[in-house]
Amino acid sequence: MGQQISDAELEIMKVIWAKEDGPALFAYLTDELAARGKPWQKNTLITLLNRLVNKGFLRARKTGRRNEYTALVSENEYQTAQTRRFLDKIYEGSAKGLVSNLIQGDLLPDEEYEELKRLLEKGRE
Amino acid sequence: MNTVLKTFLSMSVSGSLLILLLLAGKQLWKDRVSRQWQYYIWLVVLLRLLLPFGTEINIMGEAYQSIEQAVTLSLPRAQAPAEPERQEADALPEASPTAPAPVDTMDTAGLLLDRLWLIWPAAALGLLIRKITIYQSFVRYVSAGSTPVSDVEVLDRLAAAAEETGVRRPVELQVNPLVSSPLLTGFFRPCVVLPSLDVSEKDFRYIILHELTHYKRRDMLYKWLVQVTVCLHWFNPAAHLMGREITNACEFSCDEAVLSKTGRGCARDYGNTLLDAMAAVGKYKESIGAVTLSENTKLLKERITAIMNFQKKSNIVRVLTGALTVCMIFGAASIGVYSAAAADSPAPVSLDKSAKTKDGTSSSIIETYIEKYYEAGSLPLFQIAFSRLDAQAQEKWLDRIYADGDFASFSVAVRGLDTNSSLFADFAEKSYTDGEIAFFSILTDCMDETELELWLDQALEDGKWNFQSMLFDKLDRNDEFDELKDRQEKEWEAAQKAEYQAAGVTMDGKDYYYQGQLVNIFLDIRPNKSFYTLNMNPEGTVNIKIVRNADNRITGVAGLTDAEMIELFGDEDGPDDMETIPVSLKTVVAGESVFLGEYTLSYGDTIRYDIRAASGNRMRVYFAKEGRKDVVYWSVNNLQQPGEELRCAADFNLTAKSPAKPGTYQLYLQAPDGALGGVKGNVFIEKNS
Repeated sequence: MGQQISDAELEIMKVIWAKEDGPALFAYLTDELAARGKPWQKNTLITLLNRLVNKGFLRARKTGRRNEYTALVSENEYQTAQTRRFLDKIYEGSAKGLVSNLIQGDLLPDEEYEELKRLLEKGRE
Repeated sequence: MNTVLKTFLSMSVSGSLLILLLLAGKQLWKDRVSRQWQYYIWLVVLLRLLLPFGTEINIMGEAYQSIEQAVTLSLPRAQAPAEPERQEADALPEASPTAPAPVDTMDTAGLLLDRLWLIWPAAALGLLIRKITIYQSFVRYVSAGSTPVSDVEVLDRLAAAAEETGVRRPVELQVNPLVSSPLLTGFFRPCVVLPSLDVSEKDFRYIILHELTHYKRRDMLYKWLVQVTVCLHWFNPAAHLMGREITNACEFSCDEAVLSKTGRGCARDYGNTLLDAMAAVGKYKESIGAVTLSENTKLLKERITAIMNFQKKSNIVRVLTGALTVCMIFGAASIGVYSAAAADSPAPVSLDKSAKTKDGTSSSIIETYIEKYYEAGSLPLFQIAFSRLDAQAQEKWLDRIYADGDFASFSVAVRGLDTNSSLFADFAEKSYTDGEIAFFSILTDCMDETELELWLDQALEDGKWNFQSMLFDKLDRNDEFDELKDRQEKEWEAAQKAEYQAAGVTMDGKDYYYQGQLVNIFLDIRPNKSFYTLNMNPEGTVNIKIVRNADNRITGVAGLTDAEMIELFGDEDGPDDMETIPVSLKTVVAGESVFLGEYTLSYGDTIRYDIRAASGNRMRVYFAKEGRKDVVYWSVNNLQQPGEELRCAADFNLTAKSPAKPGTYQLYLQAPDGALGGVKGNVFIEKNS
């Protein structure tokens, strides 16, 4: 899963990840995306879905006349991979640098800070 | 030469004609006829180049036949192409004696030539494979350097344009900076590759419209078909010309299609797009495999001009182009192809393909030809022409040949007959009855053993000697025949003997006896003069001849008259011995006898005097035996008549009846009464042995 996906593709993935009950039908995707303000052309969507399939993010299956798509990569996996990438790219692999930037950059709201602290302590155990 | 190759060559030639026609025509109708038509009309040519079908009577077929005719007629027989030579050799067994040797070397050379035609499909295949691999590597190269376009907005615009074009499938969009101009790849999953996304919306739209129109019309397929055709006809430059022309026509017709969809108003913008596209020049030269937007500047100029001049064609033009299409198709079909079926038909000299039919017009063609051949004595051509006549005409011809007594023509004509023709038997009967053994013999060459034996029995029954002899020979039963002959001769001799005996003539070996007396000269002539017997025994005392009546039966025996003797012996041809004794005496004293020589005379000799005297009363020429001068023989004693020349001229024959007997005599010239002057002349003694 070293492949990068474009923003549009990511949008699609988000829709599919959000759907918890089983694979997503094409029609569902169209509707959802439209709801999210992305009223793409049908063929555009098909093209993007094909790309995702080629990259190994989705599995397409034909049930009857319709296509249904299942995510092969979970959101968590994707995030982790992307984070690692980000860390390597921006912070030379130093998580500390990222966290300190989060704190110093005032990017960490208090509640989240508290939650993180608790997570860290728990993780050590 | 291989039939397939021959057919293909003919297709290539006819295709070339059409190509040249279209290329020439293009100058005429360039801007008047729709570009679409100009693009698709080439399909007719492609079909012509790929499919070996044509109308029954077509130009190529005729052309090939006449070429074949000329070739086989003009080449000496030993070098004639394999198929016709075999047939000719069968037809005329008396082939030239030089033929066998060249044929041996021809075999190995022929075998090589037979395989040589394989160069053509090998090269075609090689070319095609090369084209395919080039395309494949191109596609790979382009894909490697391509980035999918992620900008959804762009993708959406793409989708919109695709819908406009009527393409249902999703179209991929990629960017590859190494590509020189926008192109389209893929049969099932179309993909447009752009050099860059840095194009205006309008440009983008027209580009997509153009490329997708190519896709929609399956121009890729058409172009590949063209490529295959060009590969198959790799040796033909016209095919390559056609390939290039079609590529150009493709672009033009695509422009036209796009404009007809978007409307004339967009022409300017479209033209601008082309120009903008020109500006972006890439590194990779993709000549095949992709449908490009711009090929080269000149062409571009042409295209822009065409775009500017674009307008929908009027109905009249539509009708005309329709008519033109029909003409092209018809032309393609009738230029036609060398038909393999025609190749298999036998005779190398086919007078006319329609000569095979039996209608009145075509048979009259054969009539003129066959007449010519008969008159000229061209036996091989006559034979072939004769074999194409119907049974009636053949009979008429055989009658004519028979009447003309032309054995040679009869011989070849007979060979041109159908094996189960009734004319064989008919003419066998005829020639047998007529006793025309030469004609009969020709027919026996075509008879089998059974038939020959039937005829032999017939001939034996009829007592036809000559036919028997020939048939025995044909049946290879010569010994039988000799035996038969001997037997027959003996029979005949015996019959003969009996006949003679009845007439009083007996034989003892080779001697004939008549009523007990040895016969000197025996003569027996049959009335029909077919046979006669002449026998001589000098010791014989009697000369007889057999008298026969009209029925060839002996009615009696008669003695030979002198006249008959003379006829027998005088009838001899051949140089006679003639002794000429010249006489030239100035004067002969009165009473003097001039001795002119001593000569031996025998029976059958002729003596002739022809002597003149210029002056004198009387002249005498005579023979006398030595010692008995008082006895004169063949004496001519002439008195000079008033007003006439003094002359001794006479003929004598020494025969049995003459008083003189054969022996040696002396010749004298005498002046019995007064002198003679200026005696000139000759005495001839003609010896008849």
